[in-house]
This record gives sequence, C-alpha cells and structure tokens, in this order.
Amino acid sequence: MGISGWFKLGGRSVFSWAFTFQRLTGIVLLIYLLAHLTYLTSLLDKTGATYESMISLTVSRQFLIFDLLLVLCGVFHGINGLRIIIHEFGFAHEYRKPIIAVAAILIVAVWLYASYVMCSLTGG
Amino acid sequence: MAEFRVRRYDGFRSYWQSFEVPAKRGMTVLEGLYYIKENLDSSLAFRASCRMGICGSCAVKINGKPRLACETQILFLGDKITVEPLENYRVIKDLVTDFEGFFAKHKAVKPYLIRKDENYEEPKELLQTPEQLNEYYVFTLCIKCGACYSVCPAASTLDSYLGPAAMAAAYRFCADSRDEGQRDRYEVVSSSQGVWRCHLAMECSEVCPKNIEPAKAVQMLRRSTAFSILRGILGW
Repeated sequence: MGISGWFKLGGRSVFSWAFTFQRLTGIVLLIYLLAHLTYLTSLLDKTGATYESMISLTVSRQFLIFDLLLVLCGVFHGINGLRIIIHEFGFAHEYRKPIIAVAAILIVAVWLYASYVMCSLTGG
Repeated sequence: MAEFRVRRYDGFRSYWQSFEVPAKRGMTVLEGLYYIKENLDSSLAFRASCRMGICGSCAVKINGKPRLACETQILFLGDKITVEPLENYRVIKDLVTDFEGFFAKHKAVKPYLIRKDENYEEPKELLQTPEQLNEYYVFTLCIKCGACYSVCPAASTLDSYLGPAAMAAAYRFCADSRDEGQRDRYEVVSSSQGVWRCHLAMECSEVCPKNIEPAKAVQMLRRSTAFSILRGILGW
C-alpha cells in the first residue's frame, strides 16, 4: 500500500485518526521550523529591512488564523505525543480509550485558551 | 435481500461486482459468499475452513473493516455489504491474498518452546503456576487471521516488517516461564524490522477478532528487548 497506508482513515478507529494527524501535524511543524529558520536568516541583513517586511506580513490580524492553526498543530502533536509515550513499553494499554478521550479534551481546552490569549494580544 | 458488493480480481484487473443475496436471521457474511459461489458465480474465490472463528482463514475487509466473515452476521451490517480482500497483502484472486510472507515472519520469531535441557528420551514435566500462565495466556488465542497486519501502517510502508501477529507470538513464548529462548527471539525482534518499527497506531488491537491486544504485546516485547539490550551494555 505504501505511504498512503499512513493516511487511510475509512473504517479505522480513532487511534488511526490520531496516528494520521500526528504524522500530518509533524509535517506542518517541520515546514514551520524551516520557515522559522528562514526568518532568522533574514536577521543577517543588518539594516533589519528584510526582517521587518516579513514581520509586517505574518504578524497581522489577517494572518492570525494561520497562527491559530499552527498552535493547534503544535498542541495536538505535543499532547498526542505524550499519550503515545504513556503507552510506550505496554503501559496502560487497557485504558487507551479513556486516555485518548482525556487527550482530546485537553487538546481542545489548551487550544481554545491559547486562541483566546492570541486574539486578546492582537486586540481582538 | 442484501446487496453484496465484492471486490473481484482476475489476475489482470480489479473491479467491483454486485450480487443479491437472500439474507436470513443468523446468516453470516461467509454464508452469503457461499450462496454467491453456489448459486450466482462459481468463479468467486475466497478462503474459509472451520466456519466457527477458530481457523482465521476467512478474514476479509467487510464494510471497510477487517473481520472474520464466519463471525459477522449480515443483518447487523444492513442491506449493503462490501467485501474486499485484506490490505497489506498481495491479492491472488478475488478475496484470496498471499499469506506466505505473513507465515514466514511468524516462523522467523521461533514460535515454540526452546529449552536447553530438551531430552525426548527422558521427558520432564514443566510446572507452571496460574499467575505464570496468565502472563501470556491471552496471546495464545491468536488465530493468525492476519487482520492486525492488514491495518498496520508500519507494515504498509515496509514489506519486511515483522508485524503485530508475529511479534505477539514472539512475546507469547518470551513471557512463558518454561521458555529459555528469549535471547534468540530478542535478536530477531530487535532488528530494524521488529519492535522499534512499530508506530503505536494501535489499530491492530482494535481489529483483532480475538481481542488479544497485539499492540500491547509489541510494546511489552519492546520493553523486554530494551532491558535485554541495557543488560548487555552494562554487562549484567
């Protein structure tokens, strides 16, 4: 089946969905990391003009939605990663359903709080 | 009447074919497949043997999920039923997939008791407490239907990956107090095709018709392997 097997969701349980989104958010965070490093590279321009032009584009209310989605990716990847670490080496396998439910609630709660803080900071 | 949509493969092309099957209360998907073969299309190929959930031959994808056809009742699924071959295996014909690799992996983990004092001339009784039996009992229930392997994302990207069933078998014998072959099996399962390749998607445990939790077995084996490696490094 190849790599498409990672993204197969039809007929699968919530655990496969979590696995697939862990992969997807991992790719998004990798792309973000590369973009972030590109940003930092712009500091080599001592005048600061390059950095300022990039900041004016990305730190804006129009760009907030992308920031919120990025935070969602980070929160999901982190909390779901912790869930997987809990089960590593065979621990709490019998409680995997309650644990994934708690993880889902935590992801939504943390993301909503982070969104509230970010919206407040941008004057929303 | 129930509509059976069966994924056919004739060696050249793959296509869907629909059949109308008279469904009665208590009738299983396997009986539906037999009805098609005996009354509608004798060329339909599928595997089955015991018809009672013991042999594992009839595992197919039913309505998108791997299940045993002999244990899945038609009326629980509704009027429309899709039947496909298991994923992650090469399809030979229609619903029949190639299990050669699957059984080769099972064989590779040495799924039998290994004893240093093996002597068939003077057999020795090996005692075991109920607690020692409980350590591995659930994993003895595996019927090698291959459902776990068919949903494993690690197996979908690496053909040589041992897979959940083989590693559950390896754990079953490693956790057996009578066994002395752990070192041999750790060598096999700690390779790049073994326990470290598992991504812990846990779908194998969700689809197992015997609820033996292969994902847990893989992780328990990972734990034992890690301690074994650690002991080797520290010289204990």
